[in-house]
Amino acid sequence: MPDTCRLLDSGLHGAAHNIALDRALLAAHRAGQAPDTLHFFRFTPCAVVGYHQSVAQEVHTDYCRAHGIEIQRRLSGGGAVYIDEGQLVWELYLRRARLPGADMRAVAATVCGAVAEALRGLGVDARFRPRNDIEVDGRKLSGTGGVFEGDTILYQGTLLLRFDAERMLRVLRIPAEKHARRGFGSPRERVTSLAELLGEPPPLATVQAALAAAFADTLGVRFAPGRLSAAERAEHARALREIDSPEWVRAVDRPAGEAPQQEVIHRCPAGLIRVGVALDLPRLRLRQAWLSGDFFVRPRRVVADLEAALRNVAMDEVPAIVQAVLGRDGVDLMGLRPADFSVALQRAMAVGNDATELKY
Amino acid sequence: MATVRGCYIPEDLYYDVERQTWLRREPDGTATVGLTAYACLLAGRFVACSPQRPGKTIRKDKACATVESGKWVGPARSPIGGQVVAVNEALARNPGLINDDPYGDGWLVRLQPTDWAADSVGLVTGDEALREFEVRMEADGFQGL
Repeated sequence: MPDTCRLLDSGLHGAAHNIALDRALLAAHRAGQAPDTLHFFRFTPCAVVGYHQSVAQEVHTDYCRAHGIEIQRRLSGGGAVYIDEGQLVWELYLRRARLPGADMRAVAATVCGAVAEALRGLGVDARFRPRNDIEVDGRKLSGTGGVFEGDTILYQGTLLLRFDAERMLRVLRIPAEKHARRGFGSPRERVTSLAELLGEPPPLATVQAALAAAFADTLGVRFAPGRLSAAERAEHARALREIDSPEWVRAVDRPAGEAPQQEVIHRCPAGLIRVGVALDLPRLRLRQAWLSGDFFVRPRRVVADLEAALRNVAMDEVPAIVQAVLGRDGVDLMGLRPADFSVALQRAMAVGNDATELKY
Repeated sequence: MATVRGCYIPEDLYYDVERQTWLRREPDGTATVGLTAYACLLAGRFVACSPQRPGKTIRKDKACATVESGKWVGPARSPIGGQVVAVNEALARNPGLINDDPYGDGWLVRLQPTDWAADSVGLVTGDEALREFEVRMEADGFQGL
């Protein structure tokens, strides 16, 4: 008889409510007062930055204020996202021993593999893409992140049932729309949703049942519907006071000027490579890169793989990452070399050089 | 130089093996705290580190810093209670130092211990530390480098 874990569905709420609930569930689990749990919920429209991100660098706060979009900071890492009712959040609270291996990358691969399996059952060809995405043909369908607290793991992801790309571009401080106008690939091509892939997303209950079945199978457990305990409700109220405050949301305060976005067009004999980069100058990090141009590569998705591998890395690691992704067996760059992409990226990252700074 | 399953474990440091932190007593009575090489290996490359602010007093087992690797966030839990007297400013610019030199340039915070005698009970060092790491790695299913 497999272990029974709790299944929670807390429904649709604002960002502060949801993130405070994460804090409460994490605290109760770590204290040994809560069972391993699968939790589903959704957000009313909000911009949510990663734990170590600065709102000023990631979000168009004026737009959010004018349109009633809540701004919050989550417990897990990674990048800023726009979330609304069209996304389902799934998250697991687990003792580490539930998952094979202690390596956090292996944990992410196991959990994301289960999500991909569930989505394949719904009729889309979903795959885990390291480090943290679930994608269909190079386009992100679910982004994920985690928290480790002693023997407790929280791993969570947003699954895009529907996705409002226009709204995302207005909420988040990404230059992608300018890139699209200048001939860069549109951010719409980087993301997809069940609605886009299937015409109409399956009912929420069907998606949740598929995810629960895949997690149960992967973890060797069964899930039974449950409720919050009195201790969790009390902790939620306490956490909400902390998290529903500017001190929490803006705990990381870095000026937008430290995070410039630049682009360059790099011509080489076999093609033209357009590169846009978002930088973190004081930390010498590449936050994100966008690649497009008139080149052809096979398989086509390798560009998306490279963009995913270049998220939040040290600038001096870029050539090695480019080589690792583009030098893989089976990748055909049609006359371009990995070094051409490295040089293009290095030109785009160079400050005061020939890259164009983007204003927005 | 002692290693356990390929992870460097200096024998002259104190360890909290459950929380994967190390501690070194300094000649001035303060204690330097960091993450073990094993913790770094499991977490992957760190991309952010936010230490507690100097002057703040933290209790044993509370976070002395929060670290992020990939998209994982977690606390580095202090093996003792104390007041933060210094933080490693270099990590703000280069959190990968924690991976590159976990027992040296990648230190996290320096504490003025509140009650060393009480809090250090349960910390291990030398051969005892190596044995505890072996037990922990076996329990984790860590095959070694």
